[in-house]
This record gives sequence, C-alpha cells and structure tokens, in this order.
Amino acid sequence: MKKNIFYIIVGCIAIALVALFWYSDLLMMPPFMIAVTFVVAVLAIYLIRRKVIDLKEDERDVKITEQAVLRTMQVFWVVFFAFSIGAVMHLLRSPSFPPGIPMGPPPGPSELLSPRMIGFVQLGLLCLMIFLYVGFRIYYAGIYGDWETDEE
Amino acid sequence: MRNKIKVFRAMHDLTQDNLAQVIGVNRQTILAIEKGKYVPSLDLAFRIARHFGVPIEEIFTYEAEEKTQDIQ
Repeated sequence: MKKNIFYIIVGCIAIALVALFWYSDLLMMPPFMIAVTFVVAVLAIYLIRRKVIDLKEDERDVKITEQAVLRTMQVFWVVFFAFSIGAVMHLLRSPSFPPGIPMGPPPGPSELLSPRMIGFVQLGLLCLMIFLYVGFRIYYAGIYGDWETDEE
Repeated sequence: MRNKIKVFRAMHDLTQDNLAQVIGVNRQTILAIEKGKYVPSLDLAFRIARHFGVPIEEIFTYEAEEKTQDIQ
C-alpha cells in the first residue's frame, strides 16, 4: 500500500470517529462503546500502517512528530482546561472571587453554557486538536528542511 | 553545526538518494543536514562518518568552537 492511500484512510477514519462522537447521543451509544470504538480505530490505523511499503520514518521525522505533538498538547491542554474549568465555574456560579462581590443567580441550568453545549465545545476543541497538530507538523517540517529544494 | 557531506558525496560520487539508502534515512534528511536545517544525532553522524571512512570531526564542525577560536 502506498503512503498516500494510508493518509486518505486515516483521514476517513478520523472523520468517521468525529461523526460518531458527534452523533453519539442521537445513536444512544453508551460511553463504553465510544471508548471501544476509539481503541479499535487506533488499532486499525496501526495495522494498516504496517502494510505501507513506502513509509520510511527516520530520526528527523521522529523529531518533527515529537515537536508537533509537544506543541499541540501544550496549546490544547491549556485551552481545553481553561474552557472546561471556566464552564464548570459558570455552571456552579461558585466560588465568588473576590469575596464580597454578589454572586450570580443560584446554581441551575445556564442559558449560555448548558452541559450539552459544554460537551459540544469540548468535542470541537478535540477536533481542532487534529488541525492544530497538522499545522504544527507542517511548521516543524519546514523548520527541519522538508521544503528545501533539491539540487540534484 | 557545519558539515562537508556534500563534498564527501562528490568525492565518492554519491547522490543524496544513494547515501540516504546506505545510511538508512530519507533523502530529505540528507538534504536537510547538508543545508544546515537539521543537526543529526550522534548515532547518525557517526554512521555517515564511518561510511566515508573518516573521523567524525572531518565531516562535522561545531560552529561555536570556531567562534571561540576566532576570538582567541
């Protein structure tokens, strides 16, 4: 199998996973099934990757991947946790800081950020992580000379 | 880090692709090293030097060392 076909298959699996996550509540899928689907998808990618004949990874590729993953995780975790913690604080309306400032309405369903909407935004952030990774990978590939012109 | 891989390749009449195959890396990696975009690991540097049959310092030169010598 050629590596371009492998990349297309990986893209299709990623889109299928995102769609499955997105519609998981409509399909009434239990969380356990979603986790199993994710693991199966990762296993499938791993097995398909072994069939690729022209995908040779050397230390420079590993370095590019390492840097891209590191930066992606740094950005992703900050954004993800900032949003998640902020959303929980918004839902619970507590604690009030600084003390003395009147707290908002009592805890209850929020109009702006419902638990369902928080889940969707988190899912969106997860999807964005894929694009962030691709962006960082392209950036570091450029830094480590992937786009250098050939003189031969 | 400077290197003379291009010179040694020319001396041994090797293309980037030939050298990459012998060393076990992608041709783009050899190109990136030659252009100074990527600094190889010690392992890879030794493999390249060993392939050309010369000490590693004949192919790779540490720039900071040269600057220090210039100052002295």
